[in-house]
Amino acid sequence: MSAILPLLFLLTALSGTAVVLVRDPTRQVFVIAVNGLVLTILFDALQAPDVALSELAVGSAAVPLLYLVALMAVRNQLPGKES
Amino acid sequence: MTPRIRVALLALAGVVLLPGAAAVITGLPPFGATIAQYGERINAITPEARHVANMVSAINFDLRGLDTLGEEFMLLAAITGTVVLLRGRRGEGNTERALRRPGRAVIPRSEAVVLVCRIAGPLTALFGLYVVVHATVTPGGGFQGGVILASGTLIIYLGEGYAGWRDAVRSHWLDGLEGGGALLFTLCGLAPMLTGAAFMQNILPLGTFRDLMSGGLMLVENLGVALAVAGGFTQLFLEFMEETREADELDEPGEESA
Repeated sequence: MSAILPLLFLLTALSGTAVVLVRDPTRQVFVIAVNGLVLTILFDALQAPDVALSELAVGSAAVPLLYLVALMAVRNQLPGKES
Repeated sequence: MTPRIRVALLALAGVVLLPGAAAVITGLPPFGATIAQYGERINAITPEARHVANMVSAINFDLRGLDTLGEEFMLLAAITGTVVLLRGRRGEGNTERALRRPGRAVIPRSEAVVLVCRIAGPLTALFGLYVVVHATVTPGGGFQGGVILASGTLIIYLGEGYAGWRDAVRSHWLDGLEGGGALLFTLCGLAPMLTGAAFMQNILPLGTFRDLMSGGLMLVENLGVALAVAGGFTQLFLEFMEETREADELDEPGEESA
């Protein structure tokens, strides 16, 4: 247990930084999903399974999906007007 | 606002706020310290007072049930706002064609994906139901289970395509689920008042500790939250997915060159 927590904190920091450093929005969505998954494992390791379940369902499924759809709608509507 | 003023404002805010933040951070209990006093009281009292094994559900639905009622209506308001905003000119209709990005190949769905989705969809729904009904016994509850159920409907979309998804998921039913769930929760608050008890007082029989049927009124409130969250999130997915469909006005062929 003592080795898992620092490792998870490190992963959280790494994936959080990666969300900022990845500049392509579509890829960024997937990095956000990975960050959500890491947070889920961290919450579970910190004995907060209720929060972990919420984070898993909202952070790595619902939110990335809504972002992906929004990105697609935005990209299609901009060139779609002219052509 | 020039950059100089912005930096000055930032510095000013830092000077004002940082000492407070530092004081709070140094005042926090150390990492891994024992549970705070409130948590200890809850752990000591709740199993006997409410016959509930999952303290988080006991706090959410009973001890601080009023907060959850507020959150419930925040969710309802947020989703209603999103639906109003997105439906705007489109209405409740169901558009036929998907948007296509020019120059991008359309790959048909493979049978393996359909098979995996047909297996995973019911399993996800079953797990969502499990999380919902075991709210007072194991981690999870109406909110988590509701979101899992809503994600389960997305697997229908993945496996059967947009038309199949819209056939299976009816927008009006989702409205009913969402509003009905919120109504059920509110009635759970008001109904005890008819008997002379306080708002949201747990007047139902509490059941046996560690049993599925424990917690009394919490079970009904949990069901209300599950209905509202499952309906609300599916509605949200549906309205967002509808944004990826081609608007009806653009359907006339040969007119787009103008």
